[in-house]
Amino acid sequence: MSQLLLEIFGWLGYLERPAVVMQLSLVVALMLGTRAARRRRLLARLPVAGYSPVGLGLLALSAGLLGLLRQPTGLLQLLGAVWLGWYALQLLHRLLALWLPAQASHQLESRLLRPAYLVIAVMAVVREVDSLNDLAVAPLGELFGTQISAGKLFQAVVVIYVVLVGCGPPAAGLAWLVQRAVGMSEGSRKAMELMLRYAVVGLGLVAVAVHLGLNTTALIAVAGGLSVGLGFGIKEVFSNFVSGLWLLFEGSVRPGEVLMLDGDPCEVRKLGLRATLLWRDRDNAELLVPNQTFFTEAATTYTASDRMRRSQVSVGAAYHHNPAEVIALLEATARQVPRVLPDPAPKALLLSYGDSAINYALRFWIANPMDNVGICSEVNQAIWHAFKDNNIEIPFPQQVEYSMVWPPEQHRPNTEHH
Amino acid sequence: MMSALHAAMAKHSGIRATPQRRRVAVVSLSCAFGLTGCAGGIELPSLLYLAVGTNSDQTIDAELVEDIGARLKLLESSFRQIYPSTRFQFAAYPEDEIKPAMARRNGAGLGPDLLLINGDTAKQLVNAGLADPFPLTPTLANLFNPGDLERLRLPNGDLAGLPVIIHSQLACFNRKRLPDPPSTLQELLEASAKGQNIGLSIELSTLFWTAGSLGATDAWLRVVQDKRLSREDVNSIENWTTWLQNASDQQRITFYPNQASALTEFSTGRLDWISCSSTNLPRLRKSLGASLGVSNLPSGPGGSASPINRLRVLALGRSSSRQGRARALAFSRFSVNPLVQRSITLGSQVLLPANRFVKVPVQSSGTLQAMSDSQEASLRTAELANLLHVDDPRLDRAQTLITQLVFGEISPQGAAKALIALMEAKP
Repeated sequence: MSQLLLEIFGWLGYLERPAVVMQLSLVVALMLGTRAARRRRLLARLPVAGYSPVGLGLLALSAGLLGLLRQPTGLLQLLGAVWLGWYALQLLHRLLALWLPAQASHQLESRLLRPAYLVIAVMAVVREVDSLNDLAVAPLGELFGTQISAGKLFQAVVVIYVVLVGCGPPAAGLAWLVQRAVGMSEGSRKAMELMLRYAVVGLGLVAVAVHLGLNTTALIAVAGGLSVGLGFGIKEVFSNFVSGLWLLFEGSVRPGEVLMLDGDPCEVRKLGLRATLLWRDRDNAELLVPNQTFFTEAATTYTASDRMRRSQVSVGAAYHHNPAEVIALLEATARQVPRVLPDPAPKALLLSYGDSAINYALRFWIANPMDNVGICSEVNQAIWHAFKDNNIEIPFPQQVEYSMVWPPEQHRPNTEHH
Repeated sequence: MMSALHAAMAKHSGIRATPQRRRVAVVSLSCAFGLTGCAGGIELPSLLYLAVGTNSDQTIDAELVEDIGARLKLLESSFRQIYPSTRFQFAAYPEDEIKPAMARRNGAGLGPDLLLINGDTAKQLVNAGLADPFPLTPTLANLFNPGDLERLRLPNGDLAGLPVIIHSQLACFNRKRLPDPPSTLQELLEASAKGQNIGLSIELSTLFWTAGSLGATDAWLRVVQDKRLSREDVNSIENWTTWLQNASDQQRITFYPNQASALTEFSTGRLDWISCSSTNLPRLRKSLGASLGVSNLPSGPGGSASPINRLRVLALGRSSSRQGRARALAFSRFSVNPLVQRSITLGSQVLLPANRFVKVPVQSSGTLQAMSDSQEASLRTAELANLLHVDDPRLDRAQTLITQLVFGEISPQGAAKALIALMEAKP
């Protein structure tokens, strides 16, 4: 490690060379100048995206002038190319926004394109000042008796990163194919996709360890030691991870499932390594719930065997209406609401005799548990219209007020005054 | 101090120093100070950038880099006694890739101060404007064999580089399997007949030693000099090609496509005898330990072998600053002084000094004796080496003919005829 750091520190010595300082100064000055000009809008007619090309043009002009003076310009050209590439990435951002959804475009840029570009740019600059071969074999230290070099570590990091970031689309594609072939449900497809990703990441990590030449016996010994550490130190993290895997295999908490959380139906969006991401329709909130919560606590789900939910609205009708007529009207009304399932048929019940009304319940089935509140609203509106059309009264609570005389022995009922 | 500067800047410009502006100011000032190196207390390291060329039988791996680093470390520590603050930083490049690498680095002003490369490569680089000629003083010139300097001269008289060390071509053998190394080509064939595994590289530069043993070097010199060949000359060349094809027919003599493959096989114990370069010895010692034996290449009916030794030189890079060039010249002069040359030779036991006044203590080591003998034998090919350069296009075509000969695709007579015709033609 110290050798590599010394090597990198040694590059500072190039600043002793006037030609290097001249090139670097030009690039830094033009980049900062372009940035300042863009922030202050010095060229009023120029769009924001037009400042970088102006800066790049000036850089090319400077390189040409230095070339005429027979001064080295390779570094200037390289840094200019890096700048140009970065600018091209910004242009690409606009194109990607046209083709891909915002989130996918953002992920592609931030997780793949920009990191890859930065790595390539840094390697290109390093190649100017040193031999990449030399740097690649620079020893960093020993790991389980294996000498780790900078190149090996770099390759390992790149492979792990690419596996972590890049295994998503292939896993999704394979899961989609299997879904089409076998006819599995959407939730199972998503579960399979996640399991494939975990499998690829696991295999990738093992492949990297083998590539590094790590001693497998030592790895097993370390894994044994780690298991004790896991028991004490990071057991929560590990417990959540294992819970997540278990839930995936069990199939009770998969992306797309609907669970009740604090009385609200929530849809599972993502089953992560540590936590499950749920979406609550009521307020569009996204909830991160540790996986082990679902593993250790009881949960209500509407999507375990099917996605149907039986819903209910309550309503009161005046005492003078025939309950049989009200019940028939309620059931007929529910059947007319489009999002109420005809089968099983809606069912109305007389629940109790209230203070001012007879209380009825109308129970019906819906296809999507997440739509419960909206469908209940539609049913309630339909009941109001049906009652109005059939002159069925939804009574207000009725109370009779009369004055009292104290002491009670002297009180005379109101009727006596009339 | 920095915050005072920022405050003063903000006050002067009338702009309120927001955190973002402050960040930009810090970056700008740091860049400015960093680039100019004028920040109080910040002193740029005094570095000597070296590019080291590696030959085709060397793979740039951790072991080689460590080996080069260790040798340079010895020189660096001695050099720092005179120039205390100087540090070395080296980058290794395969010799055949060094030209484009230097073109790229020089183009950016980031080329090395010094290049430790083969003499031939140095001439190519100076010719291509990628290295500066070495300013040789009469005192310095006196340290070297005139022949060595002559080989490094360009047509305009400039010196491509300062000779520093010599890599010798030797024979390496496994003592456990082959207690007595073959001293003649006949003994080499007999050893193979007795079951010893012999490895030869098909590369012309590493195979040419056999031409000396078979008495073909003088004939080859006359071919390259475009002199009229006698019947004996043609016969000697045919003898050489015949021996090569006969050798390839032997069951236990294997020709490898390159020297690196032969070295790998030898270091893993699958071969008992190979020709090797003195630069390979540290690695072979690590893998074979005391089993490694080093001897002269086998002689033959035509005399001693004709090893091709490599004269390594220090060439001046073109991107150095004034101080960098001064350091490069100081180190070049330092590296050829007798004391340093002697310590290089004794310390590594794999290099010979270029300074002719440094006597190699051959009595102290069989390896040094073999290297010294190899150096003497290589004088037979010095004139030929002077006429043929590594970038000569005829050598590529000659390599193809040798490959065809070894694989039996052409007859020894046909190969000899084609080789003569090829080398007689001017490139």
